Amino acid sequence: MSEKNLRASGNGNRQNRWLFPVLFAAVIALLMFLFNLVSGGAFLEMSNLRVILSHIVYPSFIAWGFCFLFACGYTDMSIGGVIVLGSFASCILGNKLGIPGVVIGGLVVGMLLIFINFLIFTYTKIPSWIAGISLAMIYEAIAVFLKMGSRTKALVTASLEKPYRVLGQLPWSLVFLAVGLVVIYFLYNRTTIGLNIRALGGNKDVAEKLGISINKTLLAVGLITGVLIGIACFLQQSYAGQTTVKTGLTSINMIFQPLAIYLLAQIIQKRINIVICVPICAFILYAVFNILTVLGVPSGTLQEAFLGLFIVIFGVIGQRKVKGVVK
Amino acid sequence: MAENILEIRGLNKHFGPTHANKNVDFTVKKGEIHGLIGENGSGKSTLLSQIAGLYRRDSGEMFVDGVPYDPANPIDANRHGISMVMQELGVVGNLPAGVNVFLGRTGQFSRFGIVNMRKMRREAQAQFEKWDLDVPPLNQMTDGMMIESRKMIELARALSVDPQLLLLDEVTQSLSLNNRRKLYELIRKFKDMGRSVIVITHDIEEMVEITDTITVLRDGAVIGSVNSQETSPDEIRMMMVGREISGDYYRADMTPTYGENVVLEVSDLTVPHELEEVSFTVHEGEILGFCGLSDSGIHAVGRAVYGLSKPTRGRVFLKANGVELTSPTTALNNNVGYVPKDRDNEALMIRASIRDNFCLPSLTELKGPVGYLRPGKLKKLAADMVDSLSVKCTGIAQTMDALSGGNKQKVNFGRWLAKDLKLLILDCPTRGVDVGVKAYIYSLMNEAKAKGIATILISDELTEVLGMADRLLVMKDGRVTRTISRGEDFTEQTVIGVMI
Repeated sequence: MSEKNLRASGNGNRQNRWLFPVLFAAVIALLMFLFNLVSGGAFLEMSNLRVILSHIVYPSFIAWGFCFLFACGYTDMSIGGVIVLGSFASCILGNKLGIPGVVIGGLVVGMLLIFINFLIFTYTKIPSWIAGISLAMIYEAIAVFLKMGSRTKALVTASLEKPYRVLGQLPWSLVFLAVGLVVIYFLYNRTTIGLNIRALGGNKDVAEKLGISINKTLLAVGLITGVLIGIACFLQQSYAGQTTVKTGLTSINMIFQPLAIYLLAQIIQKRINIVICVPICAFILYAVFNILTVLGVPSGTLQEAFLGLFIVIFGVIGQRKVKGVVK
Repeated sequence: MAENILEIRGLNKHFGPTHANKNVDFTVKKGEIHGLIGENGSGKSTLLSQIAGLYRRDSGEMFVDGVPYDPANPIDANRHGISMVMQELGVVGNLPAGVNVFLGRTGQFSRFGIVNMRKMRREAQAQFEKWDLDVPPLNQMTDGMMIESRKMIELARALSVDPQLLLLDEVTQSLSLNNRRKLYELIRKFKDMGRSVIVITHDIEEMVEITDTITVLRDGAVIGSVNSQETSPDEIRMMMVGREISGDYYRADMTPTYGENVVLEVSDLTVPHELEEVSFTVHEGEILGFCGLSDSGIHAVGRAVYGLSKPTRGRVFLKANGVELTSPTTALNNNVGYVPKDRDNEALMIRASIRDNFCLPSLTELKGPVGYLRPGKLKKLAADMVDSLSVKCTGIAQTMDALSGGNKQKVNFGRWLAKDLKLLILDCPTRGVDVGVKAYIYSLMNEAKAKGIATILISDELTEVLGMADRLLVMKDGRVTRTISRGEDFTEQTVIGVMI
């Protein structure tokens, strides 16, 4: 009976597979309406929506990076440090070579450092979170070292000249988001390497016995995550225009919000594919921050407390009656 | 053209100081069903793992179809027409069933780097249909599936490489009667096609029935090969252990013997899609057996009684303590033990020590003031259990994953005996254990019975429930269809008739 019903529940889920996304969309629409109501119409103003949309792009790329990273069962605490260095490179090369320099700087440094991290994780067998913290300290130190010779004002920040910030602004940032969504969706769900990465995280022993090369797959994760973090580096620099040197492991703070996006997406992933969840959750998250700011809630601890509460509520809703899910 | 599909000469394999395979000579003919049997730890799985490319041999030669063969990995073995369903392999839970069938080979469905999932699912479905196996929901993640369904997915995966030689390592132990029959049919089909199968099973009667030749291994060495038609289960047992062993390890009495006091009372228990209005009682010192086909719901009974599933109707009342069992915590705190079917995934902490595994169910009894657990107490309990159960290990600090299947099961079962139990739920307690451990487990069950512990025995092996139970509940489609008492029409034919 159980097997028949598994099958039955599978068919049932197939019929209802659009129910949750539709309900989810309705809840988001309702939230937006409520936000607009409490903000006296300010929330849905085009200028405000533009602010939110342009803000979600680079954290989404970092969160997509987490999808691959966590799918294979690894943690990398140095990503914040990599973003600082990648953004610096983007800034330095951008100011010299223009927009191609912005892209090359972030991409090359992001890819290279994350790939180096994975070489270390794979071949030294040091637990990734321990190695990641050590690497974060090294990357922070390198960033400080790079800024040592600068004048006082530039001691802690690297600023990209205004004409070269176009990639972080609308509409270009949204183009990156849309293309990224399509490419990453296929990479994660519809390619052999994507399936192998998920197999590795699901059951390493089985994956290995089925001929999946663990080391090659891990290095592929390093490469893919590196590209995504590299893109995030130059998008971050293009969006914010400047990057501040971090010390004392404060670079880890930089990944907190993308991590929250990932966690939120992970909660809903049993209903909606995680790659699609990421930008949606990024939008929800920044909408919450936005409305809290509009309402005058002080940024920092209090806003983060609201964010934590919000994630818990979503978690409870997302996990209800999850059984026999079809993806 | 070679007469043998596989020929092995002088094969040796060491794991540290353990000589797992000693100078093994082994031959499988084309179109032959070859059984491999031996006690737990005799080197059967190691031998198959080398044939399947999971391990590299230390020395010796292998030939497939007369050509030297040295597989670098399982995919290489697949290329040579050899595939295997492993004893403990499992599937990847966070991937759909369809992907699991072709995992490691998904590249064959990809074009320009994109895997055609629909085509892969269609091909997976075709594999199930080709071999007349029930098709599971192919786009569903496997982590929600029963162990039997997962095993069938592994079988489909092995068959999908169209092997000339199929290796089955204790597959039948995970299957219920109907799927076992399908597997036998599949094996016969293989033989008719001129292909070969190597089967490992601890069920000697089953092995004699389905194979042409049986090779016995003991302590890593081949003891001998016999023609299945010309041997007997007793001869095989003697070859396995090196001394005569009687097959009568089941109860000899044919009358139900148990106390009058009811320990457990289950009434109208209904779990959506699993159980429908199931009612029964278990008495002091009674072994209550449950049997049925794979979709009958017998395994769901164990989970529901232990509080692992949420019934929509009915109740599980532990009359002995006057408590309703609604969760595993309530069950554990009220001296109820549960040995699940899937010991590696549901019962044992596989990477923890033997000591921790033995002590976990008894922490309430072991803890001192303010919850402090004295290391000496934990050590003593584990050491005593290792001694009394004769667990073959290097010490109580050894991790569970280093033990053989039989020794794992001794820990899995035996740790409950350290508690003062009222009720013990056993779901396929002898799955994947050899004849010696099996006999030992039955003796432990008899000891528990003598102490007055009520036992629920759920099993896919009819002979086991018929051999041990006082009463037998036959289930079909989630309902109890008949209750038979020991001595009253207690035969395989009757039970199979009710089951089907």
